[in-house]
Amino acid sequence: MRELANLRKETHAALCLACGKCSTMCPLSPSGWFSAARMVAIRDPESEIVREDGGQAHSLDACLTCGSCEVRCPEGVHFVDFVRGVRALAPAGQRRSCPHGEMLQSAARVMAGKKAPQRDFAWLENGQENDLEIAEEGEVALFVGCLPFYDILFGRELGLETVEIARAAIRILNHVGIRPVLLSEERCCGHDLLWNGEQEAFEALAGANAAAFEARGVRHIVTTCAECCRTWRLDYPEAAPDYQPKIQHMSEFMAEKIEAGEIQWRGEALGTMTFQDPCRLGRHLGVTDAPRRVLASFGDGTGESRLVEMGKVGVDAQCCGTSGFIHCDANSKRLQSERLRSAAATGADTLVTACPKCLIHFRCAQSEDRRRHRETPDLGVMDLTVLAAAALDRPAPLATETTTHLEGDAL
Amino acid sequence: MTEAPSARGREPSWLDGAELWVPELQAEPYDIRAIDPSPCTQACPAGINVKSYVSLIAESRFAEALEVVRESCPLPGICGRICHHPCEPACKRSEIDEPVAIRALKRFVADLELELPLPEPPPPPDKKDRVAIIGSGPAGLTAAYDLRLAGYPVTVHEAAPEPGGMLRYGIADYRLPVEVLDREIAVLARAGIEIQTDHRIGSGTELESLLDGCSAALFAVGAQRGRRLGLEGEDECCEVEDALSFLRRVNSGDHEPVTGRVLVIGGGSTAIEAARAALRLGAESVEIVYRRARAEMPADEEEKEIAEEEGIGLRLLSAPARLVIRDGGLEGLECLRVALGEPDASGRRRPNPIPGSEFVLAADRIFAAIGQEAVLDFLPEDVAARVAERGLIRVDPTTTMTALHGVFAAGDVVSGPSTVIDAIAAGHRAAAAMRHFLEDGRPLIEADSKGLAEAVEYEVPAAPPALAGRRRPVHSGIVSGREFDEVELAFTPEAAVAEAQRCMRCGPCSECLICAASCGRRHITLRSAGVEPGRQSERFAALLRAPARVAGSLDSRSGRAVARLLPAHDVEPGAGLEVELAPNRISIEEDYCRGCSRCIEVCAFEAIHLVDPKAAETAVRVEPALCRGCNLCVAVCPTDAAVPTTVAPGWWGTRLEDLYPPLLAFSSESPLVVFACQRRVESVRQALDRDRLEPPLAHLVPVRCAGQLDAGALLELYRHGAGGFVVAGCLSGSCRYGFGPQLAAEQLLRMRKLLAALGADPDCVAGDWAGEGDTDPFDLRVLGIAPDSSTAVRRPGRPGQGDQESCAS
Repeated sequence: MRELANLRKETHAALCLACGKCSTMCPLSPSGWFSAARMVAIRDPESEIVREDGGQAHSLDACLTCGSCEVRCPEGVHFVDFVRGVRALAPAGQRRSCPHGEMLQSAARVMAGKKAPQRDFAWLENGQENDLEIAEEGEVALFVGCLPFYDILFGRELGLETVEIARAAIRILNHVGIRPVLLSEERCCGHDLLWNGEQEAFEALAGANAAAFEARGVRHIVTTCAECCRTWRLDYPEAAPDYQPKIQHMSEFMAEKIEAGEIQWRGEALGTMTFQDPCRLGRHLGVTDAPRRVLASFGDGTGESRLVEMGKVGVDAQCCGTSGFIHCDANSKRLQSERLRSAAATGADTLVTACPKCLIHFRCAQSEDRRRHRETPDLGVMDLTVLAAAALDRPAPLATETTTHLEGDAL
Repeated sequence: MTEAPSARGREPSWLDGAELWVPELQAEPYDIRAIDPSPCTQACPAGINVKSYVSLIAESRFAEALEVVRESCPLPGICGRICHHPCEPACKRSEIDEPVAIRALKRFVADLELELPLPEPPPPPDKKDRVAIIGSGPAGLTAAYDLRLAGYPVTVHEAAPEPGGMLRYGIADYRLPVEVLDREIAVLARAGIEIQTDHRIGSGTELESLLDGCSAALFAVGAQRGRRLGLEGEDECCEVEDALSFLRRVNSGDHEPVTGRVLVIGGGSTAIEAARAALRLGAESVEIVYRRARAEMPADEEEKEIAEEEGIGLRLLSAPARLVIRDGGLEGLECLRVALGEPDASGRRRPNPIPGSEFVLAADRIFAAIGQEAVLDFLPEDVAARVAERGLIRVDPTTTMTALHGVFAAGDVVSGPSTVIDAIAAGHRAAAAMRHFLEDGRPLIEADSKGLAEAVEYEVPAAPPALAGRRRPVHSGIVSGREFDEVELAFTPEAAVAEAQRCMRCGPCSECLICAASCGRRHITLRSAGVEPGRQSERFAALLRAPARVAGSLDSRSGRAVARLLPAHDVEPGAGLEVELAPNRISIEEDYCRGCSRCIEVCAFEAIHLVDPKAAETAVRVEPALCRGCNLCVAVCPTDAAVPTTVAPGWWGTRLEDLYPPLLAFSSESPLVVFACQRRVESVRQALDRDRLEPPLAHLVPVRCAGQLDAGALLELYRHGAGGFVVAGCLSGSCRYGFGPQLAAEQLLRMRKLLAALGADPDCVAGDWAGEGDTDPFDLRVLGIAPDSSTAVRRPGRPGQGDQESCAS
């Protein structure tokens, strides 16, 4: 297995001394899984590829690729890259199906096909007058990502409408005078397939997306999803090196605009909030400050909106229990419950996230517990962008002549 | 007896094109039998399914465990006390620490029954042929019971005042309390076996008239007479007696004290019985004199240990040579020391007395327990000459029939003194042979699936159930004034469960047949082997164009099932085909379960419940007896923690990786994929055939329930080129699994939304629902996904050609 040897070298996995520091950080350690990434790195990875039943063999799937281990690793091993690489080497069918019947992965695979999807934007309307403005071409684009698909899968059950995040983002962009480009041919960013080891499909998606955004003249892409953001910023340059737009997470964009004085808040009391750093945003991209700057700005001048912190924040934050919809199990539930309890313990009324996946996972854990009448912290879970859009001090400026409704209508 | 369909005269073409899958719709009774019985079960002469009842005890299912024992052993409480338990030395656990205390476990479940009222009797005999059994020992009673359950009127003739034979007169109360014996015989009598006690068959005409009055008879008179020592003065000296006569007296209630020093000669169970009885009746000292070493004593190890614990001496390597008698009174026994030579025919080392090594053991009483022989004085001389040989009755070993037509023999009278479990086994064999004799005039011991039961070596698992060592019921010892109270104590329920949990469950299937009881009408019914050929499902038989038996195993741990179809008649041995059966239950992988409870909500059978309803993070557990295997929980499980029941080739098992392989390699453009639930699959198949829609144009995928469908899998099929989807399921309210239609509709809606979100035509998905008892209306034309001619499917809303290629390529 030459590729494996190379992978060990490239990711410095070969340098792992099994010192155990990462295990103190791995969120799976308390369940006896040990540092899942390190398990993959130091144990014979071939036995991980050819999946054996039971035992710790499923650490390959179970690893959250949250990157907590890398934060502490004195040898600088890139565990998550290693795990991702090993997954790519695992023969098809040797790994467990992803949760939810792999529906999201299947949808992404369909999008990796030759024919571009024809997304419709019926969701822009939200049952009321649509005052949101988008463009066909332009400098700044909003990468919507999988939000409409999440709503098909989770909407009814979790009472969740994640496209509201996209609406909120457009509202904020409109607020600062930007009509973002939305692409009907936008494909999935490919994050979930990439981390599930499906390199080829990922490259197809990256290439197609890069070409499509470039063709619309986009130089600056804003996303509301931490995973999309990481993928565009770190993985697309490798897969599509010719197109390198500016990539910003909505929190970064907002922080910039707040500090430039382009965004002001109504000053409505938002209560006490605490923030969940998404792994992809915090540890993978090092963006821990921007969302906090946004949250802190809500309270400017009034004191009735307050940010409080949980014990583990920033690069030490605890994962929401699943990444990339690749694996979900009893550990995921434990992590979610723990995190919800920590959030409640700060006295916060709202747990704010900056990734729709964190949002879904926390809502899922709450919904499960409520269905079975089990105790669950009474805590709102909200997306940062949605929270911000609702706090804007004035409606977006109207500029009807460029408003575009792309084809398609409600199902 | 109804005539069994016969394969005779047919070409062995029964395998041609046979659908070897047995889907649920075709579920009918058929045999299932483990290919690899566990070592303990293999070791049991009577074929008691040891692993099964031990496993059931481990799950605290005591009543079911007793039922399993009773299937092969009509005397569970007796076996639970005095069986020499060949299962225990066979137990693989002994390679780790000590064998599972199997016998004590059996006694434990048998004891539970003592408090209950007698069971309801079976229906009255429906057969005319009367059966007479002479002797009410374990062999006679077992045969009587088997034949009575088979519908024959059975009369047992017993010479003694009470039934039980050696069980009553050879074994004392401190090992086998008379209440237990009475109770177990009462169960048999309640079952309709007529037992005539005090009825000694006189020789001559009486036997003749007895045999004339029945269609078959069984001699099970045992070996009642103890052999004499053959020493000079033996017959005249009243202090020298055979142990059996002594025991018979004691066990009849004659507790006349035994005084002085007692010697018991012999090394078998009878010797130990006599020694222990003598001790209890006041003997000053008791010593067993045996000519070989301790290991060679035929009594089992536990008996020897208990005897030693009670203070009985073992005088080994000593051969009695002469009685020392003075003035007509016994003074002692002169013995020779023995050197052991090469093993003899019995495999034990030959005892060679050493000349000149004489020594005398003082003795006031001597009991000889050196062997037993049958008392055959009920046989007229001419008959005896034909059937008897060396004091025993000779039978054809394959049929157990004696030289007299229709007269069988079993037990000690055939084998010489043996053990209770051997007698029970002999009773079973004789009863089976007698049934054959009565039913088709040919005595034959059915080989049933014995050919499959090859001895299998089981490996000791690397991680055996980590439990403390074997638990032993405490030995209560001899209590003054209560000498004949039972010595060995019973397990408490907790101790029994703990002990049973030490079992490593060797072998794939426990054959407990609980599945048969729990799966009911809707599922495959399992029967133990040995039913008459041809009694299987007609449909199943028709499928194979010949009657067949199924032998197989269900692995309760992996959920896999493997079975072998065997032709019932006249096809060369071993000509079987492997088939797969569906174990109708799912399992939950606890590591993956996040306790979301979706499965609980969709289970119409309440087979799933939370392990700990209060805890935030908790797994769910499946009650296998309630699970119907519909897989609806698997469909709704978000984490794949629910593992589906095994699916057959061609049937879809809910998981993505189980996608019907032909569907992932479509050869035609945009074929139609039709999912049909088991109730509708046949009519859908006919409808498709009518329209000549077959692969590669259209694929029919049978699913147990339409509710198993999953949008992710449909999408995956779409990605692989499927052009349209039809789901044929049940109308809401007529689904046998409850929530199937709702779940199916939800997934279809989800699929339509997904297709729309991807810019494809959502109308390539359609559902078709039918109520129970409806004429199945399945028609693609009505669904709008109709073929526009008989050769092509309209391609509904399928994206353009070449879609499978990657856009990057």
